[in-house]
Amino acid sequence: MMRIRLSLAVIFAMVVLVTALFIGPEPINPLHIKGIDKEILLSIRLPRVLVSVLMGMGLGASGAVLQGVLRNPLADPYILGLSSGAALMAVVGIISGLTFWGAFTVPLLAFIGALTTGVFVGAMGWKRGGFWPDRLLLAGVGLGFLFSAILMLIMTLSSDEGLRRATLWIFGDLSMTDWAFIPYGTIFILAGLLLSLSRAKALNALILGDELSHSLGFSPRRERLILFISIGLMTSASVSLGGMVGFIGLLIPHIGRFIIGPDSRGLIPLSALGGGVLLCIADLIGRSIIAPVELPAGIITAIIGAPYFLYLLRRRDILGT
Amino acid sequence: MQDKLRRTIRGGLIVLMFLLSDLLVPLRPVCAGVPDRIVSLAPSITEILFAAGLGDRVVGVTTFCDHPEEARRRPKIGGMANPSLEAVVRLRPDIVVMTTDGNPREFKDRLQKLGIETYVFRERRLGELPEGIRKMGIALNAEKDFNALATRIEKALLRFEKEKVLHGEKVVFIIWPDPLIVAGAGTAISDAIGLLGGINIADTSGVRYPKYSIEELIRQSPDVIFIGKGHKDMKVLSERLLRRLRSVRAVKEERVFYVGDGLYRLGPRVIEGIEEMIRLLRQSK
Repeated sequence: MMRIRLSLAVIFAMVVLVTALFIGPEPINPLHIKGIDKEILLSIRLPRVLVSVLMGMGLGASGAVLQGVLRNPLADPYILGLSSGAALMAVVGIISGLTFWGAFTVPLLAFIGALTTGVFVGAMGWKRGGFWPDRLLLAGVGLGFLFSAILMLIMTLSSDEGLRRATLWIFGDLSMTDWAFIPYGTIFILAGLLLSLSRAKALNALILGDELSHSLGFSPRRERLILFISIGLMTSASVSLGGMVGFIGLLIPHIGRFIIGPDSRGLIPLSALGGGVLLCIADLIGRSIIAPVELPAGIITAIIGAPYFLYLLRRRDILGT
Repeated sequence: MQDKLRRTIRGGLIVLMFLLSDLLVPLRPVCAGVPDRIVSLAPSITEILFAAGLGDRVVGVTTFCDHPEEARRRPKIGGMANPSLEAVVRLRPDIVVMTTDGNPREFKDRLQKLGIETYVFRERRLGELPEGIRKMGIALNAEKDFNALATRIEKALLRFEKEKVLHGEKVVFIIWPDPLIVAGAGTAISDAIGLLGGINIADTSGVRYPKYSIEELIRQSPDVIFIGKGHKDMKVLSERLLRRLRSVRAVKEERVFYVGDGLYRLGPRVIEGIEEMIRLLRQSK
């Protein structure tokens, strides 16, 4: 049953991906591609669609894993402070105008910011040879507040023209995506995804509690460390690709649970697919609806995602109790 | 003595920077002949292009480009901070003219990778405007028209400087009254105040558009207040602020003036903007 639903989700995702390529501010007829359309399709739309899917996958899957690891339905990959670290570094990069690596500078800075924060949060949440979920969470929240404050401080003090750009980045903006982003995004997000999938059974056990997972043959400490690394990789890479897109990490896993149930072996891939599809659609709407003005995808994900989520919430019981 | 030395060093540094920036941006026409299809990524650029007579060749502008009237009817390519790459490419421009003052840096790289020529307008200050227009003229292969425009602006600026309607009075230019945002150092507005002989009290803030302290404004008690009327209900909004500024000299002596947006963009309309300031200052005397 799970297999069939997952296969259906994959097919649906492919359809969305192709649709997003050919419709846009100006639809392109796939049977009749003219010169300029080909260029737009290959150099602008394709990398953008791929990045949106990758990013959504990373966020959706890491949300599903994190909610399990922390045993908290309100956990969101951003709660660990990684995104604040990424935003801080990215905004510093945008406003100071650093360009040591061309268009790749800001994503790289964001990635470094997120990973460093991840390591720091991990160190804060580590005690007596293992992670303590509550400590992780509090360390992430505390650090997140600190970084947001520094970020606001920088933005208040600078009136540079980078400011508007920085604001757009914070809301999640995919307009500058380039082929150059794809290889590194794919590597880190797929690595994280495969890592978490390989530990999906252990995650199922962790959700039941430390004692039960011990008796099922999984070491909670070890599993939590591995899963935390996978979350760190996926979240850092996602945020660095296009900024802070909200909603997906928190609510896509819940929508996934309504559809496929709480088993992590199905939930992680479905959350990844769901996140990818939602972000792809959101970006399609964002770049088409009032074209040529583009809306940041992060705004659209929440606007279309939240009502759907609330509708599901009314129909079913969110926590499964 | 020390002051003189410092000034010399500063002057030397500025000259050096100019030399370096010229080395980095070789001046040469970007296309053979005047480009037929120009996309402008900033309102100031659009205004310069139209003023220099290349308006007919402008095939794409931002949603903020509202001057001259004709520019409004050109196809739009999105905002300044978020121009749509797809929309620009679709217009098949010979050249895209952008500015360091508001356009994302990565955009130039993306365009170049797609084989589209770009010219970046780097000048930020009022005094640099004529030179910037001349350079743009070289890049667009339309030196004659651009030189004429540059000379016109240069002459006007010289004339304004000679008139000296202000004599060391303290001035503040309010961009937005609530929260209080004023024009600071490095803006064309601040340069214009200096040109007319006034002192912009916000110059010391070091930020281009600082959110200014009302307390500090009262303490400084400027002799003249300009309020940009970019928005319809600016007068209503400003009245609340002005009530709080009752003790300020400019308010007591009724030297509070509402002015248009001529100086908001580093383009040909800075002249109108400064002329308006001079007219208002003269009337109040």
